[in-house]
Amino acid sequence: MARIDPALLERVFDTTEFGPITASEMVSFARSLGEQAACYVEPGPDLRAHPTFCVKFRGRKGFPEDFPAALLGPMSFDAGKDVALGEPIRPGDTVRVASSVHDVYEKTGRSGGMTFVVVRFTMTNQRGEHVATIDNRLMYRT
Amino acid sequence: MILDLHLHSERSDDSRAPVEQYLKILQRKRDERPLDGIVLTEHRQFDLHRDFRDLEDRYGLLILNAAEVETNYGHILVYGVNEAMLARFDFGDVRLPAQEVVSEVARLGGIALPCHPGRPNVGLLAHYETKPPLDGVVAVEAKNGGSKRGEDERVQDLIERFGYRAFGGSDAHLVSFVGICATEFDAEIRCMDDLVRELRGGSYRPADFRR
Repeated sequence: MARIDPALLERVFDTTEFGPITASEMVSFARSLGEQAACYVEPGPDLRAHPTFCVKFRGRKGFPEDFPAALLGPMSFDAGKDVALGEPIRPGDTVRVASSVHDVYEKTGRSGGMTFVVVRFTMTNQRGEHVATIDNRLMYRT
Repeated sequence: MILDLHLHSERSDDSRAPVEQYLKILQRKRDERPLDGIVLTEHRQFDLHRDFRDLEDRYGLLILNAAEVETNYGHILVYGVNEAMLARFDFGDVRLPAQEVVSEVARLGGIALPCHPGRPNVGLLAHYETKPPLDGVVAVEAKNGGSKRGEDERVQDLIERFGYRAFGGSDAHLVSFVGICATEFDAEIRCMDDLVRELRGGSYRPADFRR
């Protein structure tokens, strides 16, 4: 595996802001999931975004510009996400997404070698409160 | 005494199973899977300070800690991991030299046993087709709960050809799979030293609780 400079890990390489988020966006998203709980679909003081609403947001760049291209093979797929939730998103909030490479590791399996790149989105609102951390796991054939 | 010698918790990158949930399943399914304990074998890592005494007391099950490493002969379970082994090998390296792992782990007080040997690419059998056999292998995982059809059946030939002993493990990554394959020991096992001793020279056999 190509060596990765440890300094690349956890360094924020992109910051993107979304919002203000409207009540209708939140309600529309929740309804599309079939959600019926009033706190997700009824406009009013208790309205909050459905917990999975945060997965709508992503940074503009996929990787840092100085990320070693040798690590990114010709074929990749989404190998899953870990989502840790913080404060709920409410109407009028903005969401700031800070992207960093959290981890790079290799493994072997039935079908051969794989490199996993974990890109972390750390999301905060306009008050600086933690909204969510999403670890996006991408798998590349080696 | 019956132990599941191969399973992964949420500490492994490809599992989301909390250790306590495994124990709850074993309690609930005691009639189907009469296990006395589990041995966690996280991928490519080992934590010397992991402490399960509280869970052991609450559930009445033995919980031991081992590792699954990746080598040029496929995946190998390492029991009896200690500081000397962690200093000798980078457990995160997916190209560890298998012969050194088997020999050095034994010299340093543990035992290294190939798992899912019938699995393509990461099983011992595939590598024996192109490379010389390893010296010092005591046993192989003859029953693996994650094996596809035919993978465990291929192992019987390996056992007969090389005189390996056989053990079993669920290779669970999901809580519901815990204990579907395991190993039955004649002797009582209370700690990792007991397990290493028995795997080296005791009497044991794979157990299969799949229906």
